Amino acid sequence: MADGKPKVVGFCCEKHGMDSAVLAARSGKQFDASVRLVQVPCAGRVDGMHLLKAFEDGAEAVFVLGCLEKNCYYDTGSIEGRKRVNYVKLMLAEVGIEKERLEMFNAASTNAWAFPEIVSKMVDIAKKLGPIGGGGTQ
Amino acid sequence: MKQVLVIGGGPAGLTATKSLVDRGAEVVLVEKKESLGGMARELTCKGLVECRNCGVCFAIDRANDVLRERNAEVHLLSEVMSVQKSDHGYSVKIKTSPRYVTEDCIGCGKCVVECPVEGKAIFPPTGNGQPRIHWIERGKCLHFKKAKCEKCSSVCPTKAVDYEDRARNVIRNVGAIIYATGIDPIDACEMSRLGCGVLDDVVSSVDAERILNETGKLVRPSDGKAPKKIAVMQCVGSRSVKTGVEYCSKFCCKYATKISQLLLDIDPEINLDFYFVDLRTLYEPQDEFKAWAKAKKTVKLIRTMPAVVSPGKDGKLLVRAATENDLEITETEYDLVILSVGMRPAGANSELGKSLGIAADQTGFAPGGPELEGKGVFVCGAVTEPMDIEETASRAVAAASKIYHMKEEGA
Amino acid sequence: MKAKIQVVLCKCCTEMPALLNMERLQRLAAESNNVLSVLTVDAVCDGKDLAAVVTDAKDKEIDRAVVLACHKKDISPALFKAYKRAGVNEFLVELVNIREEVVLPHTNMPEKAQAKAEAKLKGALARSVMLSPLERQTEEMKTRNVVIIGAGVSGQAAALEASKTGVHTILLEKTGKTIKAPGVIVTHGQLLGASGYGGNYQLKIKAGEKVEELGAAAVVIATGGGWTTLKGSLAKAVRDALPLYKFYEQMQAGSAPKSPVIIVDTPDPAGKTLKVQDYAWDDTLETAIELKKKLPETQVFVVFQEMRAFGLSELAYKEAAELGVKFVRYDTAGTPKIDSKNPTTMSVKDLAQGEILNIKFGTLVFASIPPNQDNKAIADALRIPMSVDGAIRRGSIQRWPVSTPRPGIFVCGSALFPKAKDVAEAEGMAAGAMAGEFVKRGRIEFGGIVAQVTQEKCSACLTCIRTCPYEAPFIGTASKAEIRVQACQGCGMCVGICPSKAIELHNYTDDQIMEETRVLLGGDF
Repeated sequence: MADGKPKVVGFCCEKHGMDSAVLAARSGKQFDASVRLVQVPCAGRVDGMHLLKAFEDGAEAVFVLGCLEKNCYYDTGSIEGRKRVNYVKLMLAEVGIEKERLEMFNAASTNAWAFPEIVSKMVDIAKKLGPIGGGGTQ
Repeated sequence: MKQVLVIGGGPAGLTATKSLVDRGAEVVLVEKKESLGGMARELTCKGLVECRNCGVCFAIDRANDVLRERNAEVHLLSEVMSVQKSDHGYSVKIKTSPRYVTEDCIGCGKCVVECPVEGKAIFPPTGNGQPRIHWIERGKCLHFKKAKCEKCSSVCPTKAVDYEDRARNVIRNVGAIIYATGIDPIDACEMSRLGCGVLDDVVSSVDAERILNETGKLVRPSDGKAPKKIAVMQCVGSRSVKTGVEYCSKFCCKYATKISQLLLDIDPEINLDFYFVDLRTLYEPQDEFKAWAKAKKTVKLIRTMPAVVSPGKDGKLLVRAATENDLEITETEYDLVILSVGMRPAGANSELGKSLGIAADQTGFAPGGPELEGKGVFVCGAVTEPMDIEETASRAVAAASKIYHMKEEGA
Repeated sequence: MKAKIQVVLCKCCTEMPALLNMERLQRLAAESNNVLSVLTVDAVCDGKDLAAVVTDAKDKEIDRAVVLACHKKDISPALFKAYKRAGVNEFLVELVNIREEVVLPHTNMPEKAQAKAEAKLKGALARSVMLSPLERQTEEMKTRNVVIIGAGVSGQAAALEASKTGVHTILLEKTGKTIKAPGVIVTHGQLLGASGYGGNYQLKIKAGEKVEELGAAAVVIATGGGWTTLKGSLAKAVRDALPLYKFYEQMQAGSAPKSPVIIVDTPDPAGKTLKVQDYAWDDTLETAIELKKKLPETQVFVVFQEMRAFGLSELAYKEAAELGVKFVRYDTAGTPKIDSKNPTTMSVKDLAQGEILNIKFGTLVFASIPPNQDNKAIADALRIPMSVDGAIRRGSIQRWPVSTPRPGIFVCGSALFPKAKDVAEAEGMAAGAMAGEFVKRGRIEFGGIVAQVTQEKCSACLTCIRTCPYEAPFIGTASKAEIRVQACQGCGMCVGICPSKAIELHNYTDDQIMEETRVLLGGDF
């Protein structure tokens, strides 16, 4: 990160994940610009590889945002997403990367307050922990 | 195909509209308020990680669906002024009040900050109401009084304020009418001994939901601190001879138990006392909430109706109640008290309803029925009897289906 | 074939230019590889602007588009139709949400917003180049049937509604009872098994001694509650105990029940598990009131754990109490007991009085609605989920009521959760209407963003099959996984979980997702 510009990536499902981000934006909520959203059809589509590659490509914090569990548009997708995140957290711990950099969140399309809180939480983590390994990323 | 008029943009009206449009009908939806969603706009999602099936997101998602449908003509800030019987159904006059804000609105809220009126004259949509466009209440706005105030317009980044907006009247010819005017919450202040309206930290469930919906947290209104000991009281206003609401409002136990679970999700260390008369958790086995409460050591289920809520020590609240067996009186202090209120039907006895042949029965609800349906008038949703959002949805699809087949028989 | 991209910058009327430098975005787009045309319009949701986009697309012979506008759901149907007219495959149209991801939340950060918008444009262009054109397909429904399982209150309502839509409706009832349902074929039988996908199910039915195959485009589960099963210590102790519906039938037929009558909420009050033993309060109160009005001398006791008279039934509670019906509440610490050697008295601790009552009874009635025993077999056959308490579980509440996660399968009434008759009827109507509409189309649409297996990589571990809620993956003749495209919903769960990385999701491949992420991370904001 340079000059207080942390790099945060969020994999959002195109159903309630994106809907909650859209509602927050349409309710006038402001949040840090450093978050980059990548849309996926379902949180269950997210592969461990995507999360690890995001860190490799310079992300300092990564999150996955899906529908509330038991309310996933595809029934079990957000639960699958959480499994993937938990699995990759273990892998991060093994290679000495802080587990907090990766997180799973759930939101509903009516939670206008949720998305800004998620962004601010992950941006804070990225700012606090800095680039991975301490040295520069590209 | 003739159009269908839907009066009311709450869960019932929205579901019926979407169902009809999906089947090829054209719908004119008239909503009195500035946004779609009805009471569900101000109710909060009751899950944090796990969905609790309250149905609020269903209503708001349907509102968004309806706004995207070309065959659904939505009139907000509108009312049906008159209905005349015609050859092929009804001729309906709809009056739309001016909103004064165009679709360019991005919801940033700068206008509200700038508005000099006490209590403001420009507002965002209530709760999660859709679409997300602000609106001006003309009666409070200074621009329309002697001072040509233009503070909101000058600060709007997209020039979305339009003082030239005018009221509009349109006439539509429809083949059938759905009357789905919904509910009004009972005012918790009617149960005066429970302190609502007098004590700051006694809130009604409607207020608690509104705050949770906006901020995701419930804090004490008096000092903004997080409450550590909460009392939730059921049946406030319902099943009561005093308020005249002798029926059970059906959804309050469901929503209150889920709010309790949400509050404990947010802060697992809260002590929560759930005062109830009968545990009427809808669509859930009666034991599930009890089992959850038992597992959470800090939740107590107390089967009694508290009599009085009065100020306690150090800014707390004192709740006085008899024990379940009526043998003792307990006095317990809480940081926050939530009164679960029920509902009364809205518009069950309106002039418009009467002109359609809709009238409230002795319970206060407007039940509809075969005679009205034969004339193409369908009453739907919680204005007919107490129901929650999920039941409303099924009923609305059923009513829409009746209309769909009625029209095919040559309306 | 080199990609030929058209970039459309939508101003969202006045919103985009209020924060972003549109010229810089236009220049960036024009200077990018593969971009043949850059258009700026006022509102891509407006018909005139859309027409201009289509004309330009046709003229420049572009094959794909990147549209910077607002939320996908708000413009997509009209936009894709328009691009189709221009000969552009709908799956090659990338929608970038600049409005809600950049403009609205960053109004105080114009430089960062600009850099972010530019990064999103670059990301979308990088992704666009990697996309492939995809085709939606249609398939005719082989048998345009709606099959409704269960001819109770909700089942009959569903059947009548479905047949009104003009589709062939079959009502499958396991008991031999006579059912009057005009326009509906009534078959007495049970569901043994099922296969297929929404629009083309093959059901295996047992009718009498025969096992038959029955095609169905949609299925409605209306199995209701397990009224007829009476299990538990109380039922065992009293041989002639009746379920409530039977008691009511006898009452209607004119018989006078032996007083006192006790109506108990469950035959197994000591049941410790979370069984859906909910009490038919509407019917109980109606029965009790009618009984007291007809035969005021009869003593009636209602023994229960929770008094769940919802809504307007509360008024019936009041009326019943005024007519002299006695209500006795107990809890699991003092459940009702009957001595099987002397089954004439029920002893139960009345919590209101705090004392043990010994109630002599003449007739014992059980009003519980336990889950239907058939639910498990039906859920297994149709591969839909059940709830922990033995009922069928509805799909997520995002979806419509009365639906299950699988397209074409609906569920209504007490199969979901015990409910009053009028609610069950409304749900039946809703399910029947939705099933009828579904089948009326006569064909299903599928394909496009679906999963595909590269068989060489597949290790046949069955993980995808266990993960998919829609029965799309299956082991094919090559002993490797294949995707039944008609059933695939395009969620990508199987893709994310496959340990051999043998499955890809069209237009959401790993490479596409990771490239977009990489480009977005490159921006300086």
